[in-house]
Amino acid sequence: MIEKVKNIVFQNRFWKSVFRHGMPVNARLRSEAVMSNLFLHIHPVKIYKDSLLFRKTLGLGLISFYLFFILCITGILLMFYYIPHVQRAYQDMKDLEFAVSFGMILRNMHRWGAHSMVALVFLHMCRVFYTAGYRHPREFNWGVGVILFVCTLALSLTGYLLPWDQLAFWAITIVVNLIETMPIIGDDLRYLVVGGTLVGQNALIRFYVMHVMVLPLLVTMLIAVHFWRIRKDGGLARPE
Amino acid sequence: MPVSDEQRMSEQEKDLKSYGLMNLVEGETPHVGKEPEEMTTTWPHLLVKELNLFYLVMIFIMGMSVFFDAPLEEMANPSVTPNPAKAPWYFLGLQELLSWGPPFWGGIFVPTVGVIILILVPYIDRSRVGTGLWFHPSRRLYNILFTVFVVVFIGLIIVGTFMRGPIWGFYWPWEPWPTH
Repeated sequence: MIEKVKNIVFQNRFWKSVFRHGMPVNARLRSEAVMSNLFLHIHPVKIYKDSLLFRKTLGLGLISFYLFFILCITGILLMFYYIPHVQRAYQDMKDLEFAVSFGMILRNMHRWGAHSMVALVFLHMCRVFYTAGYRHPREFNWGVGVILFVCTLALSLTGYLLPWDQLAFWAITIVVNLIETMPIIGDDLRYLVVGGTLVGQNALIRFYVMHVMVLPLLVTMLIAVHFWRIRKDGGLARPE
Repeated sequence: MPVSDEQRMSEQEKDLKSYGLMNLVEGETPHVGKEPEEMTTTWPHLLVKELNLFYLVMIFIMGMSVFFDAPLEEMANPSVTPNPAKAPWYFLGLQELLSWGPPFWGGIFVPTVGVIILILVPYIDRSRVGTGLWFHPSRRLYNILFTVFVVVFIGLIIVGTFMRGPIWGFYWPWEPWPTH
């Protein structure tokens, strides 16, 4: 009976057109399962057994990536309910709390996920440093990682303004006033970021576009480079 | 000796290497001198672990979200300045530095130079000993310097978050702030 169902599910032309190999029961089919799948093929087909040990990496990089993934999903859902307008944004926060089903959990997941990501990316960097994983031939990928950390901070900061409450407004006011202290370009740069002299509607829409469009695309691209280089640089750093 | 296709296939499965020879170049690959026995297949060994880790992350974030609500204060009002006004926690270390002297040094110079030094780290440390090992003894100096950086970075955030009150005055976490 079970065999029969299995045959119907796995042995038809549709299934075989999607997954060209059979069930990954032996080494060759396992290789194919990874190699012929777009989402899995960033992995090598085979890895060192000791690279699998949790204590080698503590999973910190992967956790950071998962958090980014969760933030993308919850972020898209939040975009259905949020309008970046100074008269509407705060009301939308209240609606998420009191009117939208599971709206508060959605916002909480996005907020705590964001805080966690900042911490986890930093911890990931510490792990790579303390295991000397940045050394040749991984110098460039370490640099990409540092830029990713800066981008994470930028993402978190641009998102911080969006609830348009006192916490958001004054935190961002402090940070943009900091930009002003830059020599030569400080004033102009602050004007560019804020879209005026005061944090208002122009700042809100600029931060919003950066937060939901520009920075996520940039980070996605950098993550692709980061993962690609892990493969090209020979996987997890190992003692010689 | 001629080898049949079947034999070749079974040999391939035996040593589990699926690479083919494409070209000869000078230099070592990262895989030189490593035996196939040290390796295992990604499916299922790595993939199962990755999936399990995803479940853990989801459980943690969902759990946090059920029990703790994200903060939301009064609606933004440019005419009411909170005292003290604080940046997000990850910038409070910088805000603390800012309060020590000219804003340019704490706000722009220190973070910029910090990021540049971080990017340059692999070009400064050219040693090959201890790569991939936690806290290798040959790296004691590097580890101490980096730990100092981490402790100062986190320490400043803690001071900025928990020990700064009105007009950025110093208060212990248990100390009440003056009302007026």
